[in-house]
Amino acid sequence: MTDFASLVDLDRCTVSPRVFNDQDVYEVELEKIFTRTWLFVGHESQIPEPNDYLTTFMGAEPVLLTRDASGSIRVLLNSCRHRGMRVCRRDHGNAKLFNCPYHGWAYDTGGKLRGVPQLEESYYNELNRDEWGLIEIPRVESFRGLIFANFDAEGESLEEYLGDMAWYLDLIVNRSKNGMIAFPGCHRWRLGGNWKLAAEQFGGDNYHAGALHRSMVEIGLGTQGDFRGKNPWISDFEVKCGNGHGFINFDIDSGEAPPIQAAFFEQIRREAVETLTPEQAKLVLSVQVGTVFPNLSIISFIGFTSVRVWHPCGPKEIRVHSYGLVEHDAPPEVKEITRKMLGLTFSSSGIYEQDDGVAWGDIAEFQGGPVRRKYPFNYQMGRGHGKRMDDKPGLIHPPSTEIGVFGLYEKWREMMAR
Amino acid sequence: MTTDLRLQIEEVMIEESWLLDGNRFEDWLALMTDDIRYWAPVRENLGRDEEDFHQLHLLTHFDEDRMTMGLRVARLRTGFAHAEEPPSRRRHFVSNVKILDASSPESVQVASNFIVFRSRPGLEEHLFVGGRRDQWVHTEAGWRLRERMIIFDHDVIENITVFI
Ligand code: FES
Ligand SMILES: [Fe+2]
Repeated sequence: MTDFASLVDLDRCTVSPRVFNDQDVYEVELEKIFTRTWLFVGHESQIPEPNDYLTTFMGAEPVLLTRDASGSIRVLLNSCRHRGMRVCRRDHGNAKLFNCPYHGWAYDTGGKLRGVPQLEESYYNELNRDEWGLIEIPRVESFRGLIFANFDAEGESLEEYLGDMAWYLDLIVNRSKNGMIAFPGCHRWRLGGNWKLAAEQFGGDNYHAGALHRSMVEIGLGTQGDFRGKNPWISDFEVKCGNGHGFINFDIDSGEAPPIQAAFFEQIRREAVETLTPEQAKLVLSVQVGTVFPNLSIISFIGFTSVRVWHPCGPKEIRVHSYGLVEHDAPPEVKEITRKMLGLTFSSSGIYEQDDGVAWGDIAEFQGGPVRRKYPFNYQMGRGHGKRMDDKPGLIHPPSTEIGVFGLYEKWREMMAR
Repeated sequence: MTTDLRLQIEEVMIEESWLLDGNRFEDWLALMTDDIRYWAPVRENLGRDEEDFHQLHLLTHFDEDRMTMGLRVARLRTGFAHAEEPPSRRRHFVSNVKILDASSPESVQVASNFIVFRSRPGLEEHLFVGGRRDQWVHTEAGWRLRERMIIFDHDVIENITVFI
């Protein structure tokens, strides 16, 4: 049995390539990480009415996010109790019952088994339907519209789990009075690579932007050479938030917005003064990128916001589900500008995101050999140089640093060693 | 009349394919009008005929105008667009061209199917498959593309680094 803790060296700040390439590591992650952390499952605006549902995944498990007939949010395994077929194979909708396609067992949106064909003739009425409802994920909690679920019935609340990260998420999801809604649809695409490389990049790898996204710099849209930014520590910084979460705030001038969008930005800034603390309000509408451990990332940039889950699909494959968020109160024209920017930049075809996929895929495809795996990856950038500050939570360091990124592996190690 | 029109449109679509596969992206852009809309709504797994590509604010893989198409092409020319560097090997196949509406001599609605093969260094080989809905307008310089809606037939799509 592998000693997983030995794969992350806390003193040297290194991580073994095996963490990203090995099937046995992956299998254990599914159990030790994905069944014991808060996983993002959707946004409240995606299931506004009773009996609305959305299908997604938690780790390796297909799940149904529903609002049951009485209006409560539930998360259920999308797996029939009879033989296990997915009872719902649509992306979303509204239904009183999920009729399993295989033999026809029917469940309501609260997971209760309502109908069993030939219950009388073939089961002699001896099947206790109360025992055979859909398996319910025991804990479901929301943070400002973002719904998370946890297979583990015990442990920290979502709020405790998010810890300092909640303060940073609020910069995006609580910057306006009426909050955010999800655009219809989902960017779903496949990438080669390990899910953690995606999570770490969004959680604190500002360093790669100048190299991997150099094409964007060349056409005038990327971060310029000055990595520290205009106001290091103040508004240009990265944060290690604890529990594996990380966040980047970068105060770049995002150029001129169309007048209607610029006016809406002003409205957000005014509202943020009321919804946030003064320290938070100052940071609103910077470039903001973060990861909630293990596999939820958020990016908010010139008005668009994507929340995406890096669904693990083996050690070398990621299925990305990215939802677009926008202020509920944004005028329709602003919503359209935002939707288009999202597709252009961070999506299945995004001109930033295309290149990220290639880096992760290359590492997955070529770096699993017996020689390379003996030499760990370096996560030492900035170690020991982070500071606690009065105006914001977490361990702060200006870009670039890997303090936050390595925090993900510290948490990973702790959970894998349990 | 329609056959002749279809041949004309097919010819310009074939020209497009050769330009794209030959890395002549700027020449390809020149076949578009200044008010081009080039877009691809996301697909959803729903009931039969329930998908609505024109649903308000539905996410799009891309939804570009002349300016953003120019950005995508300029990026490829930098030498640092790593997803396409070294460039992928691409092969466009366009077929089943059908004139949907030719009631105006200046502007036609055209449907077509496509398969685009892509192979990249070291990475797997991929196909992009789907249908297109185009509007072509007749100008002094010839036929020009004003709108292209691309309907990918994939549920989980690959990283889209190519033009269709
Ligand atoms: S698997 Fe669902 S009814 Fe048999
Ligand atoms: Fe990136």
